[in-house]
Amino acid sequence: MPQNFVAQAVEDVPGMRAIFITAMPDALLYDYWIRENDNWSAEDVASYFGDLIRANREGLKALGSWSSEMQVTIESADTLVVLRELTNDFVCGGVFDRKTPLGMVRLHLKRVTERLIDHLPSFEVEERPRGVRVMEFLQRYAPDPHMVMLRVAMQTGIDLEMLRTPEKLDKAQVHQVEEATQRILGLDSLNI
Amino acid sequence: MQELNSLKTLLPQHDLTFLAGVPYVYHCHHFNLFHDQTISDVLGEERGLEFRSRAAHRAFSQLLDRIFQALGTDTPPERFEIAARLFAWMGQGKMEFSLSPEGGTTRGMPLHYSFAWKQKYGSKIRCRFPVDAVGAGFSAAIGEAGFNLEPGSFQATETTCIAQKHTHCGFTISAGGSESAKPLPVQQDLEQLVGPSFPGEHEGEIVRILAPLREFLAGVAGDERGLIQAFNIFAAAHLTAYYNRTAFGLIHHLESGNPKMLPIAVQLLREAGRVCVFNTFGNLMLSPEWEGLASAPSGAIEETVLSCMTIARGLGFGHWTIKEIEPSKRFVLQTPSNYESPFYIHQYGTSEKARCYFLQGAAHAIMLLAHEVDWKARPELTEELYFRLFHGSKTNWVVEETRCRSQGNPLCEVVVTHR
Repeated sequence: MPQNFVAQAVEDVPGMRAIFITAMPDALLYDYWIRENDNWSAEDVASYFGDLIRANREGLKALGSWSSEMQVTIESADTLVVLRELTNDFVCGGVFDRKTPLGMVRLHLKRVTERLIDHLPSFEVEERPRGVRVMEFLQRYAPDPHMVMLRVAMQTGIDLEMLRTPEKLDKAQVHQVEEATQRILGLDSLNI
Repeated sequence: MQELNSLKTLLPQHDLTFLAGVPYVYHCHHFNLFHDQTISDVLGEERGLEFRSRAAHRAFSQLLDRIFQALGTDTPPERFEIAARLFAWMGQGKMEFSLSPEGGTTRGMPLHYSFAWKQKYGSKIRCRFPVDAVGAGFSAAIGEAGFNLEPGSFQATETTCIAQKHTHCGFTISAGGSESAKPLPVQQDLEQLVGPSFPGEHEGEIVRILAPLREFLAGVAGDERGLIQAFNIFAAAHLTAYYNRTAFGLIHHLESGNPKMLPIAVQLLREAGRVCVFNTFGNLMLSPEWEGLASAPSGAIEETVLSCMTIARGLGFGHWTIKEIEPSKRFVLQTPSNYESPFYIHQYGTSEKARCYFLQGAAHAIMLLAHEVDWKARPELTEELYFRLFHGSKTNWVVEETRCRSQGNPLCEVVVTHR
């Protein structure tokens, strides 16, 4: 992607505060632009947006009404957020000033995403080991994240050193970590 | 509450507090939730819940029995009435009983644990298991004590829980298998098990602040909800037998069956101590009340440490003293008494290992509060700040309990060193 491409793509878009491009399925930040005054952690936002799109995708599939054209609109106190799928491998989240009319937001984001899509790479996404993804997911959402590794070790009996290299966990250990993750987060299943 | 206040006693020179002779302390919801979570992390959710309920059952059986004896309360209606007031006064929540000698139900709305769980975690994670083991244990205990039945006649199960988004906490009380165990210690027992008392550094200043702090804490009791909400925390008076039975129970469980996991359990128990000091001690020091009792925190390291010693004594944690404080290098905390080691000796005898896990975590946190918090800026003690302080490079403080009463030493000593 050319340098500053995202900044160029959002140039002159009124009311836009940020845009985050998230690589799926791992919900990792690919690129972003944030307006000068906003001090957000792009990595965190991109990951949460990625998870949200994934959950939304699964929910719509469960309803039998999913299509890649879907988008999620969030109206918070001071922002309007619209999440869209760009390609199979990328999703994006546009953040706008709350006062921007919703119709304009959708129109602007559609134009921006058209500009972005042409410049996103197409590649075979190599999924990282499931153990890594589960641990990342857990650390992202668990309360007291600095203690979560200890809690997983306690619950599973897996050595702390092994948990620190989750890519080396065997299938049975990954399963144990998944179960611990579900217990800690109170989930019936892990949609990762 | 006059009759309950009249049952409060203090072991002079040791700063241990008792209700009808039963040892108790004040702890915050952050500590309580983390402590309970640790028990379930070790034992599993279902077994952990059952284990905690049994510990609460035993502890409250002892307390209710002694309170009813002390107040001469004989009839079931009187006993239920006193018990409900006691639980609310402790800040444990509001309970209603619908019980007969065969069992029945109780209802809590709200209860300290589930209400606080919902506040702290409710927007982040879903609660899969009820969290009111203390409410369950109390329900079983009042069922027995109310009708003068043998302890262990009942067991209680929480069927609905506010943390699980139910409107109230509900418990079913039914016949249960009695459990014989060594009686829990009371004040007279613990008096024999503490070491000879001694002063530490800055003793005069600690004593000067402690007197009005005690006066202030004497007025602390549950509000109309049966909760104590102050200093950005929910506090509760709680029976130390509950904390000790559960903590030492899980440590013994690992020592006998899975010793390689022991260091992790110890770290988690210490973490509960860190959580307590950060939230309870820290928020108290930032309160207008503290400014009135002592002064607004200046950020001086020794002042922060002596403030923490004072608060610990005020909450009934024992006669914590400063043996040595060398800023940025070393802190030595000594105490002839705390709520962990005398209990350990009474229940299990002497030990080869030091056993004051809460004290270890607390001492560690005191060093971080003293060195890493900008008190003059009056920071908000948020989760983010906690994470920054206790995660990563700032954790270069190493803690070790070098002497413990349970090992036969005259005092417990915790040394915190910067590596």
